[in-house]
Amino acid sequence: MKHASIVSRMLVLPLVLWAGVALGNDAPRANAAGETIRRVQPKMVKVYGAGGFRGMEPYQSGLLISPEGHVLTTFSYVLDTDYITATLDDGRRLEAKLLGADPRLEIAVLKLDAEKLPAFDLGEAVEVEPGARVLAFSNLFGVAVGKEPLSVQHGIVSMTTDLAARRGVFETPYDGPVYVLDAMTNNPGAAGGALVTRDGRLVGLLGKELRNTRNHTWLNYAVPIAALRQSVEAIRAGRMVAQRDDAQKKPDRPLQLAIVGLVLVPDVLELTPPYVDLVYSGSPADRAGIRPDDLILLVGDRLVQSCKALREELEYIDFEDPIRLTLLRDQEMIEVELQARLD
Amino acid sequence: MIKPRSIPSTPILASALAALLAAFCAIFPAAAQTAREAQEQAAFRAAVERVAPSVVQIETIGGLERMGKVLFGTGPTTGLIVEADGHIVSSAFGFANQPTSILVRLPEGTRRPATLVATDHNRKLVLLKIEVDKPLPVPAFAPLDQMRVGQWAIAVGRAFDHQRPNMAVGILSAFSRIWGKAIQTDAAVSPNNYGGPLVDICGRVLGVLVPMSPESDEELSGVEWYDSGIGFAIDGQHIRKILPRWKQGDLRPGLVGLGFTSKSLQTGEPVVGGCRPNSPAAKAGLQKGDRIVEVEGRRIERAAEVKEEISRRYAGDTVALVVLRGDKRLGATMELAAELQPLRHAFLGVLPMRQPEARPGVRVRYVYPDSPAAKAGIQPGDRLRAFQKQPITDRQQLRSLVGGLQPGETAELQFEHNGRIRTRKVTLAALPEGLPPADLPAAYDASRDGAPAVKSGAVPLKVPEWPNEAMAYVPKHNPAVGCGVVVWLQPPGPFDWDALLARWQPLCDAAGLILVAPKPADPNRWSPQEAVFVRKLLDLVDATYSVDSARVVVHGHEGGGTLASLVALKNPDAVAALAAVEAPLLGRPPENESDRRLAIYLAWAEKSPRASGLKTWVDRLRKMAIPATTKRLGPEPRALDDAELAELVRWIDMLDRI
Repeated sequence: MKHASIVSRMLVLPLVLWAGVALGNDAPRANAAGETIRRVQPKMVKVYGAGGFRGMEPYQSGLLISPEGHVLTTFSYVLDTDYITATLDDGRRLEAKLLGADPRLEIAVLKLDAEKLPAFDLGEAVEVEPGARVLAFSNLFGVAVGKEPLSVQHGIVSMTTDLAARRGVFETPYDGPVYVLDAMTNNPGAAGGALVTRDGRLVGLLGKELRNTRNHTWLNYAVPIAALRQSVEAIRAGRMVAQRDDAQKKPDRPLQLAIVGLVLVPDVLELTPPYVDLVYSGSPADRAGIRPDDLILLVGDRLVQSCKALREELEYIDFEDPIRLTLLRDQEMIEVELQARLD
Repeated sequence: MIKPRSIPSTPILASALAALLAAFCAIFPAAAQTAREAQEQAAFRAAVERVAPSVVQIETIGGLERMGKVLFGTGPTTGLIVEADGHIVSSAFGFANQPTSILVRLPEGTRRPATLVATDHNRKLVLLKIEVDKPLPVPAFAPLDQMRVGQWAIAVGRAFDHQRPNMAVGILSAFSRIWGKAIQTDAAVSPNNYGGPLVDICGRVLGVLVPMSPESDEELSGVEWYDSGIGFAIDGQHIRKILPRWKQGDLRPGLVGLGFTSKSLQTGEPVVGGCRPNSPAAKAGLQKGDRIVEVEGRRIERAAEVKEEISRRYAGDTVALVVLRGDKRLGATMELAAELQPLRHAFLGVLPMRQPEARPGVRVRYVYPDSPAAKAGIQPGDRLRAFQKQPITDRQQLRSLVGGLQPGETAELQFEHNGRIRTRKVTLAALPEGLPPADLPAAYDASRDGAPAVKSGAVPLKVPEWPNEAMAYVPKHNPAVGCGVVVWLQPPGPFDWDALLARWQPLCDAAGLILVAPKPADPNRWSPQEAVFVRKLLDLVDATYSVDSARVVVHGHEGGGTLASLVALKNPDAVAALAAVEAPLLGRPPENESDRRLAIYLAWAEKSPRASGLKTWVDRLRKMAIPATTKRLGPEPRALDDAELAELVRWIDMLDRI
C-alpha cells in the first residue's frame, strides 16, 4: 500500500505544482497569487544535511524568521550532522548552526551568518478557518536547487484537528493542533516549508510525512505558528524547552477486566469484537447490570473496536477510578457505570 | 444528456453590476482577484455548512483485519443522510471487512446502532438505517441538468472529527465514468471522505464519494487512487431514484452472457460473438453475427456502448434491444441476471491420434471407460467421420464442434469401425477430473511418419528487458504435429538445469513436450511481477516452435506453484492447464469460454498447511465448472516422486481430450 500511494502521489505532483518560475516576470499583473509568491519566496530556504539513502532524503525546507538569519525548520535526521547548509532564494549557500530544538514539537531553529535578509515575523502569523485558501512553499522531492524558487502548491484548509485526540492514530511526538490540507503537501523534503494565506500571511509550518494508522492514508498538514511561537522564542533566547505532557500517562496499576468481574469472549481474531462471555455473580459488572453477549462499544467516550483495543484502553485507567461503559444489547445502547471494589 | 445551465437573472441589474466590476477590475486587477478569492472562500465554507447536518460519522466494531494484501482501515468513515427516517448511504469501502456492529455518530455527538439494510454491489454503496426520535435533516440534491463539468465541487467527510466536517475543493471533472456509473472530480478523495457527499458551491449534493476503478470491479479497487486528483462519486439523483428498490434488498450488477466478435470494446463493432448457454442473451434469442443497433432507444455504434448501457443497470432490469440479422431488424428483450450459470465443457470421451494423415476424419487413440463414446461402441483405431452431420476434418475442428454443445445434450455421431460406417446418438458428458490410467497408447508413431523431424536439444531462452534467464528442452518432433509445453517453476532453492533435464528429458521425448524452465531473479522467491515474464516466455516459445495449444501447462512446486497459478489464471488465452504441488494459489479463476478449457491439477499432503485452503479452491473451481484433478501425497508435504511425475505427464498428455 505504501508503494502504491507514493506512486500515486508522485504521479499527481506535476498537476498540482506551480513552478514559481512560471509566475516570474511574464506573469500577468492581475495574478494576486503570483504577487504573494514573489513576496514569499525570498523568505524561504533549502536546508541540506544528513541522509542520502532511500526514504531518507538529505534535504528539507525552512523559513527565515529574522533579518539576522534565524531559520525555523523541522527537527529531523537531516539536522543530525555537524555540517548543515541552507541555500537562500538568491542562490547563496551558507553554513547553518543548529541553535536549538524542541523534540516535542519537532521544530528546530538554525542560525545563518547573514544580515538584512527578508524574513517572516512570527508575531504577525495568522490563524485561519477550514475552507481558507492557502499556498504551501516547500522543496518537496528536492526539485528546486541553487537559486531556483521552492515549489508552490495551492489548496484549502480541509479542517483543523488535534493530533492528541487520536491516540495511536498518528505516530508522532507532536500532539497539538494541526491544519489538515487538501493538497499533497507532505512529501520528502517538504518538512519545514511554509503555509501562507493567498495574500502571503504566515499560517503554519509544514510537518513531516505522517501516516494515519487507522485508515492507511498520508496526512497532509501544517502546525499553526501560534503553537510554536513560545518554543521558538525560548530556543532563540537559549532556553531549551522541555515540557512534557503527562495527561496521557499510564497509571502504575491499571484497571483489569477481572477486577470488575468481566470475561470477554476468546480473542481469536485480529479484531475480535469485545463481546462479554461471562459475568461473575456479585461482581461490580454484575451489579451494574452487564450481561453475557453484551457488546462493549465505548469506554468513557472512546470507541473500542476489538478485545485488544479494550484491553489497551484500560491501561490508561487507574484501577480505583470509576468507568463508564456503553454496551450494545439487541441493537439497543445501554450505558453503565462501575467501579472496582476497594477492599 | 446534460444540458448547459440557464441562469435566470434580472438583466438590467446584472449588466450594471458586470460593467461596474469590469471597470473595477481594469483599474485594480489584483485587488479584484483577491476580492473574488475571498468570496469563493466564503462560498466553500457556506456550502459545507449547508450540507454538514446531513453528514455523519460511522464507526465499526470487529471484522476482518485484511483482505488479501490490503490492510483494512479501522478509522471512522463518513455517511450521508438520505431520508429523514434514518436511512444513510455510505461507501461499501468502510464495510468490506464485514464488521460485527456499526455505529452512526450524529453531528451533535449521539451514537446510534445501525443496521446494514442492503448493499449496491454495482456502485459500491451501502444503505444503513438507524432508529430516530426526530426527523433527520435531508440534504438538497443538485438537479442533473444544472451540473456542468468545470464547476466547483467540494468533497465533504467526517472521518477526523464527528463535530467538524473535513473538506477538499476541486472541480467536477467529468460525467459518465466507470461505464456510466460515476461522476469524476479532482478534489482530494480518500478514506477520509469516502461515503461523504460531493457538493456544489451551493452545498447541494452532486454525488456520494466512492473508490472506483475503470479496470476492476473488485470490492476494494480504486483505493490506490486516493488523493490522486482522480476521484469518483455516485450521482445523487440516481441514489434518490433507486432508494425505494434498494430498501428491498441488495442490488447487483446485471449480467447478460454476451460476447463480441472484437477484442476491444472501445473500437470494436457491436457484433455478437457468442452467447453463453442459458444466459439472458441466449434466452433473448441473440445469435452469433447479430449486430446490436439499439439499446433502450439509444443508437449503438460501438461494443463499449452496449457494455455501458448494461453496466449502469442492475440484475432484474430488462433491457430492450434492436439487432440487425442480415438485413432484418429484430427486437429482443433481456432480463439481466445476477449470476450466470458457468459454461460447462461437453465431452465425447476420446483421445485423438496426433499423426498427420491424408484421410478425412479423426482416428481414435483411446476411449474413456463409461464415456459417451464407449457407450456408442467406439473403439481405439476407429475413425470419427461426422458430428451432427458435419464432416470432421481434424481434431481441433472436432473439439470446437463438441464444444458448441453442453453436457447432457444429444448429438449424432458417425464413425468408421472395421471399415464400416456407423451412426449413433450420443449424450455428451462433462469433462472428467480423474487421474490418467497407468498405460496410454502413443498418440504418434514417428516410424510411420516420413516428415523430417526438427532438431532437438537444450536451448537458452531470453526475453528482452527481463533479467531472468531461462532454459528449454525441445524434443525431436514433427512441426506438423505440434508439441505440448510444460513451464516448470521451481520452489525456492538453487537452479539445477542438469538434474532437471535428466528427470524430464525421457518424459518430454515420449509425450512430445517442450520443457521450459525460467530462473527466478531472486533464487529464494518468485515475485508476482515475474508472472509477466513467464507469459512472455510462453509467447516466445509459441512464436519459435510449433505448439499444440491444448497442451500448454504451467507447473510449479511451493512458491513456484503459486506463481504458476497467477500465470495460468491470468492468461487463459495462452495456458491450457495448471499443475501446482503444495502451493497456495493466487488469482481469480477465469470464467469458462467455449474455446478455453482450463484444467487444474492440485497435489498436496494430508498434513499440508495449505490443505484446507486448497480444498476451498477445489470447491470454488468446481462451482465454476473448471475440472479440478486432485492428488494426495501421503501425510507429509513433499515434491512429486518419479511415478507421480510420470502420472502428471500422462495427465498432460490427455489434455487434448474430446
